[in-house]
Amino acid sequence: MRNLWRVLAVDIAAPLAALAALVMIGIVLGWPVWWVSVCSIMGLLIVQSMVVNFVLARRDSVTLGTDDDGPGLRLAAVALTTAALVAAVLVGYTRWTLPDRALTSDSAEVVRIATSASEATATFSPRDPTSSIDRAAAMMAPEQAATFKNQFGQATADLARKNITAQATTISAGVEAIGPAAASVAVIMRGTQNAPGQPPSRAVLALRVTLSNEGGHWLVFDVSPINAG
Amino acid sequence: MPSAEGDAAAVEGDAAAAEVPAGPVFSGYGIASAVLAAISVAAIVLAALIWSGHHRDVQERSYQSRVLQTAVEWTGVLINMNKDTVDAGLIKLRDGTVGELNADFESVVKPYREVVRTLQSRTTGQIESVAIESVHHDLDTEPGSPPPSTPPPLPPSIVARTDTVLVVATSVSENVGNKPQTVRWNLRLAVADVDGKLLISRLESMR
Repeated sequence: MRNLWRVLAVDIAAPLAALAALVMIGIVLGWPVWWVSVCSIMGLLIVQSMVVNFVLARRDSVTLGTDDDGPGLRLAAVALTTAALVAAVLVGYTRWTLPDRALTSDSAEVVRIATSASEATATFSPRDPTSSIDRAAAMMAPEQAATFKNQFGQATADLARKNITAQATTISAGVEAIGPAAASVAVIMRGTQNAPGQPPSRAVLALRVTLSNEGGHWLVFDVSPINAG
Repeated sequence: MPSAEGDAAAVEGDAAAAEVPAGPVFSGYGIASAVLAAISVAAIVLAALIWSGHHRDVQERSYQSRVLQTAVEWTGVLINMNKDTVDAGLIKLRDGTVGELNADFESVVKPYREVVRTLQSRTTGQIESVAIESVHHDLDTEPGSPPPSTPPPLPPSIVARTDTVLVVATSVSENVGNKPQTVRWNLRLAVADVDGKLLISRLESMR
């Protein structure tokens, strides 16, 4: 009975697990040429040793798993299997799990930044003309922030003179496209403008916010209307 | 390609390997083998988790692109209707809907059809942006007031899941005798999965 377990574990399961690990590494890496080569060599060696083990077992009635005189060889076989499996886990974790997680958290992060940046660009209070512009600029890369401030500086002066209040609230937002380094978010807002002596005017604003990932931080690259015609 | 089931079989095998050296004699080799076997079993379990987790993520992404594709095709018909194609277009749109929207479809689009016919308009539309909605605020409800009476959602036995898609589009209508008119569409579409078929279950214009 004990011998049967040894055969199943060491002679059959271990080499199959090692082969599976090699194939999994290949799938995770997308089968680059060097791994196709390494994998076929190692796979061939594993299959070869299984054949040798089987032939010798027929002759001597003892296998790698059941040979009490060869514990060192058995340990080496188990160690190689373990190494292959651990390598497969490490490769899978770094190439699959980590990027998948980053994509999920980045998606939430870019939408959060994009909505607050869009709301800030469409919000204006004559009592505090620069506060929302500063808020939006703080989410941008320095270069874009300077351009943005210049563009809006004149417009805000005009709004302040007419004593107009503008406010925007996000209705809906979603990620259009995202990669590790760049993202594009669509934001639909309701903008309300109040001018003294006039009824408030309401409009739906559709903005596209592009962001880039600079050293782990998402910064707003551009905010532009989607369907300005 | 080895499946997770194949790995699971190997788990049992390797677990047995852990018991092998635990026989009458504990040699150094035996203990080392047992430790390695335990590590192997753990590695197989982790590999199976990584594999299935990634598989799920990939499937989710391809499902989302199918949802976006469905919304784009449906909206494409909606914003590209001419007086000659309005009937065929509306039938196509209706076939792509489910639930409340499908039941009320005729009454919803009747005025629209009349307008297209009488104005003899030619409309060319273009989709500007499409995204799976991840943030939504209902601005028409006052804070503290009861939630608005939304149509009851479709029962889960029919609809596996529903995603909301955000579509921004522009269409230009050329009416006989008038100058071209630009229409901006800011739409929220609910895309429902009905037996593997993606159908539009709600259409809402954001204003």
